[in-house]
Amino acid sequence: LLSKDKDKSAASKDRTPEGAAKRQVDGADTPKQQLLDIIGGMKVEVSYRKKLQRLKASENKKQAMNKLEGPDSEGSVPQGITQDTQRGKPLNPELVKAASAVASSLPRNKKQTESELLAQLRRHEETTDKQKKGRTINIRNVISEMTIKRQSPAQRGTRVSGRISLQLHEDGQRLRREGSSAQSMDSRRSLKVGKRLNIFTKASTEPEHALKTASSPTIWDLEFAKEVAAVTAQPPRNGFEEMIQWTKEGILWEYPIDNEVGMEDDAEFHEHIFLEKHLEGFPKEGPIRHFMELVICGLSKNPYLSVKQKVEHIEWFQKYFEEKKELLQEI
Amino acid sequence: MAAAALCWALRAARQVLPSPCPRQVRSYYVDWRMLRDVKRRKIAYKHADERLRINAIRKNSILPKELQEAADKEIAALPRDSCPVRIRNRCVLTSRPRGVKRRWRLSRIVFRHFADHAQMSGVQRAMW
Repeated sequence: LLSKDKDKSAASKDRTPEGAAKRQVDGADTPKQQLLDIIGGMKVEVSYRKKLQRLKASENKKQAMNKLEGPDSEGSVPQGITQDTQRGKPLNPELVKAASAVASSLPRNKKQTESELLAQLRRHEETTDKQKKGRTINIRNVISEMTIKRQSPAQRGTRVSGRISLQLHEDGQRLRREGSSAQSMDSRRSLKVGKRLNIFTKASTEPEHALKTASSPTIWDLEFAKEVAAVTAQPPRNGFEEMIQWTKEGILWEYPIDNEVGMEDDAEFHEHIFLEKHLEGFPKEGPIRHFMELVICGLSKNPYLSVKQKVEHIEWFQKYFEEKKELLQEI
Repeated sequence: MAAAALCWALRAARQVLPSPCPRQVRSYYVDWRMLRDVKRRKIAYKHADERLRINAIRKNSILPKELQEAADKEIAALPRDSCPVRIRNRCVLTSRPRGVKRRWRLSRIVFRHFADHAQMSGVQRAMW
């Protein structure tokens, strides 16, 4: 990690921005001289947080210096300090002063550079906060689980040859071995071992904002949708698009042809054939029962009706005979 | 009353388009006879189940005759256009009542016209 490296390198260097501030007031030579004084006169701080901040700040300055190298600057003191501190989190005032000093030492637009530097500082502050809260990914955790793959020089040689040469028997053998070696490597490290890296966030399956404002789209919405579809519908450019349009409209069937399109009979065969349980409303004996048993026999052999339709058929007869009861009593 | 009947007929004569399609669409039937045929088909479809069931009671040797006579009266009470016998398979394009081939629903003249212009899929002039 860069910060860790910086730590090691900066252990020797000591830094305090307070000293820098003093120097700024006292020195007042060229701003560049001031900056050098700042960096030279810094001391080690005990708290890690401020150290990290200053590390980031110094890193920024160095980067800025390296990027914008040019002729000497004109000495004009930038004034945008108060503006920047008002935005969001207030930055460390020492850092701000340091940033202004850096900006003044650089050739281009002073205010712009200063604002950029301060923006970078703010971003770094955010990253430090995130790291503290443990939200960002620590690359150490990722790398810790990995091992370096060691290649024997013989294998390396064969791999190269395998790429270039034809599929000879020897190469085939070697390739097979390589494949097996790769597999063995993977099998050594199983998938569920190791600390959990929070790289991927679980896709939150929130219940779709259940009710939209209207439970069903209003007529106006439908009309609008129709209008949009009509406007955006381009005439088909070729035969394929024409066929697609016909399929959507229902003129053309979908291929491969499904013989049971539109027919969704989820009933089992026994529901089609054994229909006696629907005959409970009828008298047990007599011509009507005889008649209904014939009806049921016919329905059980009918493959074209759904179970619902058959049940409706029987119920219609039941209703009919109920109505004709008085007539039947006379007989 | 004549105006109302005319309005109703005009509305019936128009085809209802579910979605706006950019192609040309015929919005009238060929003639009034075709319209009447369409009406008969719709009403026959509506009463088809009922007619089937009442006929099942009528054409029966098991049920008592009184019941069958009652069923006779019921079926006679249904609208006259509900019987499928009144439907005539007219030509779809010209409404010709005779000389219509069932497979294509076209009269012989229209069929010949299209077949000669190679607009009937799989139809060829016979030669043997």
